[in-house]
Amino acid sequence: MDIREWALLVFTILGQISTGSLFVLLVVRTYAVRKAGVDQANRLTDVPLLFVVPIMLLALMASLLHLGSPLNIVRAVPNLGSSWLSREIILAVVYVILAGAYTLMQWRKISTESIRTALGWAAALVGLFQTYAMALVYMIRTQPAWNTMATPITFMTTSLLLGSMLIGVVLVTLSSGKDEEQVRLLSASLRGIAVAAFVMVGVQFVTLPLYAMYLSTQGEAALRSLSMMSGPLSGILLLRLVFVFLGAGVLAVYMYQTTSTAGKEKVLVSVVYSAFILALAGEVLGRYIFYVSQVRIGL
Amino acid sequence: MAKQLGFYVNLADCTGCKACEIACKDRKDLPTGVRWRRVYDYGGGEWIKDGDQFVPSGVFNYFVSTACMHCEKPICMEVCPASAISKRDDGIVVINPEQCIGCRYCSWACPYGAPQFNEVAQVMTKCDFCVELQTVGQNPACVDACPYRALEYGDIEELKAKHGTLSDVAPMPDPALTVPSIVYGPHKNTRTSKSGGGRVLNID
Repeated sequence: MDIREWALLVFTILGQISTGSLFVLLVVRTYAVRKAGVDQANRLTDVPLLFVVPIMLLALMASLLHLGSPLNIVRAVPNLGSSWLSREIILAVVYVILAGAYTLMQWRKISTESIRTALGWAAALVGLFQTYAMALVYMIRTQPAWNTMATPITFMTTSLLLGSMLIGVVLVTLSSGKDEEQVRLLSASLRGIAVAAFVMVGVQFVTLPLYAMYLSTQGEAALRSLSMMSGPLSGILLLRLVFVFLGAGVLAVYMYQTTSTAGKEKVLVSVVYSAFILALAGEVLGRYIFYVSQVRIGL
Repeated sequence: MAKQLGFYVNLADCTGCKACEIACKDRKDLPTGVRWRRVYDYGGGEWIKDGDQFVPSGVFNYFVSTACMHCEKPICMEVCPASAISKRDDGIVVINPEQCIGCRYCSWACPYGAPQFNEVAQVMTKCDFCVELQTVGQNPACVDACPYRALEYGDIEELKAKHGTLSDVAPMPDPALTVPSIVYGPHKNTRTSKSGGGRVLNID
């Protein structure tokens, strides 16, 4: 894998963290508004919101490394009629504009609460569609290892898994010295995040064997991808599964239990951080395998 | 129906001498590593021990000269984000170097390895069917270079009428993927993309 593909790895992972975190943040916010009102919700989610757009901007900067000349990005959009690469870029730009506007309006409390919330959800939905478009970029009919439902499922689970865990990390970092109401909202949010992470890992663990079974029926190129995953890449694959299982599986359960126990705030911080780092490492390894194991049909 | 130019490669006559590849490289002044036309040496079978000697078992090989297939459904053109690839009225698929951004997405997609990155120009390049020669009534460089007259070109329907419709030949991919503008003359060992059983012996 050369530097150009590392750029794509960074772009896809960071882009997915951004879109996933905005979606999760809006879910958390909706919950907080219902439980404790708009002011409490703002106190809980305004700071984490500041991370969403810069992460997508970082992702886009990484993607520029893939284009030879960064200015080429403006020339990469004319083929909206048939190229998902063009559509992916446009969607990323629209997402940055909407999410950026939402962040600014939310931070400065411009316009009304309901208009801001509507804008936020619009940005989040464009974001999730952007992540789906990212997957469609790879679903080309001459690339059997990519041209499966496993690609969008994996991209979406990565997005929601790492997005929710990032929000968990930011929330738990800001938690010290908060009043009782905030701590209650925070604990409930972390429990929700733990459940989401656990479910996402479950989806990934179900997808993987189905994916392997599918590849085994898709001809020579697919079989070569499969034999790379079960051969030279099997160590990395195992490590990926262990990392994700520990981070989003075991630690998520522990996180869920710890938030329900008083006086364990310090333990909770390290649990949430470790869970995020393990899951991130696992997802990066998974994406590495994704790029390295592709075998195109033909010559 | 609009005209569609294509190639005819007679596998029975090709000896794998690669004069076509070198003529192409020379004509288009291609840098090291860029090979618009390539000759694949495809073979298989094995030698098995029979008493004191080894005897061939199903050993076969043949050569397939390949360039851009100027496909009816060019996947390179579908995926190119910059709309830099287009299909002319005569069916030739061309890359506009002014529009190409060098993202190499087309090389991920093309099952023939036709679009190749030129490090010097920082753009994708591929066989353009020697358009400049054709417009002055001459043949593409590869066609004229073949000492066995194994390469022909022309309207694909005329080539089919003359030589038959064989287009599914290993190690080429299933023609249904992109509908390449190609007709092969069969070699006695010709395998299809599905039957296979061999491997490319000379190019990684």
